[in-house]
Amino acid sequence: MISGKRFVLARNFASATLAAVSFGAAIAFCSPGMQTSDADASWQTLQKAAAAARALSYKGIFVCQTGKQMKSVQITHLFDGTNEFARNVILDGSPREVLSQSGNVVIYNPQNEKIIIEKRRGQNMFPAVLPLNLESIKASYSLRSAADERVAGRQTQVLVLEPKDNLRYSYKFWIDSEYGLLLKSVMFNNRNDVMESIAFNQVELMKTVELDWFKPKIDHNKSYVMEDEQVVIADDHLPVDWEIKELPAGYRKVDQMMRRVPGKPGPIVHVIFSDGLASVSLFIEHIAKSDKSKVIPKNTLTTAGNTSFYANVNNGHLVTVVGEVPEATVVQIGNAVIFKK
Amino acid sequence: MSEQISALMDDEIELEDALHVVASLQSSRHNAEAWSCYHLIGDAMRGNALLGADFKHNLMLKIEQEPTVLAPNAIQTNGEKVAGFKDKLPATWSIAASFAAVMVVGWMAMHQQVQSDNVMPAMEVAQADTVEQAIPSEYLMAHRSSVPSTSSYYIQTVNYAQ
Repeated sequence: MISGKRFVLARNFASATLAAVSFGAAIAFCSPGMQTSDADASWQTLQKAAAAARALSYKGIFVCQTGKQMKSVQITHLFDGTNEFARNVILDGSPREVLSQSGNVVIYNPQNEKIIIEKRRGQNMFPAVLPLNLESIKASYSLRSAADERVAGRQTQVLVLEPKDNLRYSYKFWIDSEYGLLLKSVMFNNRNDVMESIAFNQVELMKTVELDWFKPKIDHNKSYVMEDEQVVIADDHLPVDWEIKELPAGYRKVDQMMRRVPGKPGPIVHVIFSDGLASVSLFIEHIAKSDKSKVIPKNTLTTAGNTSFYANVNNGHLVTVVGEVPEATVVQIGNAVIFKK
Repeated sequence: MSEQISALMDDEIELEDALHVVASLQSSRHNAEAWSCYHLIGDAMRGNALLGADFKHNLMLKIEQEPTVLAPNAIQTNGEKVAGFKDKLPATWSIAASFAAVMVVGWMAMHQQVQSDNVMPAMEVAQADTVEQAIPSEYLMAHRSSVPSTSSYYIQTVNYAQ
């Protein structure tokens, strides 16, 4: 299964990267003197950035900006040769913390008098935003290099990842010329507006292997509660009365589940698609007879910030699509759902 | 008067010097509204949690739905609930002492969960971002909890506590 493969890759990145590295050697391979074309060299640099974010130990402060919001985040990341540990402390506003250990993410999220503990399966936390396997990205995007720039006091190589169609956004990556670490990442829409920007202000490599920092700051005055489990059936093999006809180019189904959604009487179908960088969620639910009285518009299409939303009533079902992708993508996915009679 | 109300809120005048302002809040509907409005604006600007417009309605609804408990001690047995929590703890995480902090908090959660959380006020977080106003939050939350976008780890614009 494709999603399974992704996770195996993530787990085994240690061996993968150790083969591709030591990093000094990797830098030598990527130097322009080699017999590779410019495009190949750029892809190698990107591959190195994907590995370096996971296999280096570093700490620093980066700023994340999307829409009108901006947060500073303090990151400590350690790779001990087998496992990855990262602690992200959000420095502005509510004191949230995101701890991750090799893809398992736990978020400590203050909500009023409680701290909600949320579990996630993280694959794309900055600076590890790129997957280790770039094949699906190569299929949908082209890569070119731009003039070098300086970021967070470091010299960087700049790469521009542009979509081959209008079904995804474009990205610009600033990659440390010496260590290969991704120092800055900006996502643009088709009109070249900035959708999301994340950049280190300062960063340094760590030599330590101590893990005394890998724990959240505990507030004894608050009660800690686990977030309610929302996924009812993780891998859904139930018979379904729908199928997906034709997906937008480059998107593949990576997961499917039954999940609870607040305000809905029963669990609903949730299918996830990805092109390697962008992800889209599809929800399918029966429209209950009692809901008929409510006004459900035939078609709804909204884009706000970097997120597009499409809802469509089809054969007694409400089909909803949401993702950090252009409008065309959510519409195509929503309209690809066919109900069997 | 509005300026004095604002000054009182910002601690720019002492309470003893502002008794007439306090009195006016009680006597004048207009001033009372200004007081509440300034607080709302302040909370929103600071990003504090706001009470949703339907807060009172939801709360009353939940209170109505609460069963009348005739023998309160009978509902203290939360054994099943605690067992359920063990399943939710990240089983694959290393138990090595230095990594156990997460477990400690998980354990705290397990024990504190025994407290009744039936009446969870329907709070809504102040939303400055337009995304949440334009897109139904239940789908956005479900999407982000399964496939978080890179920025959604750090910038949280929807309320997960339901």
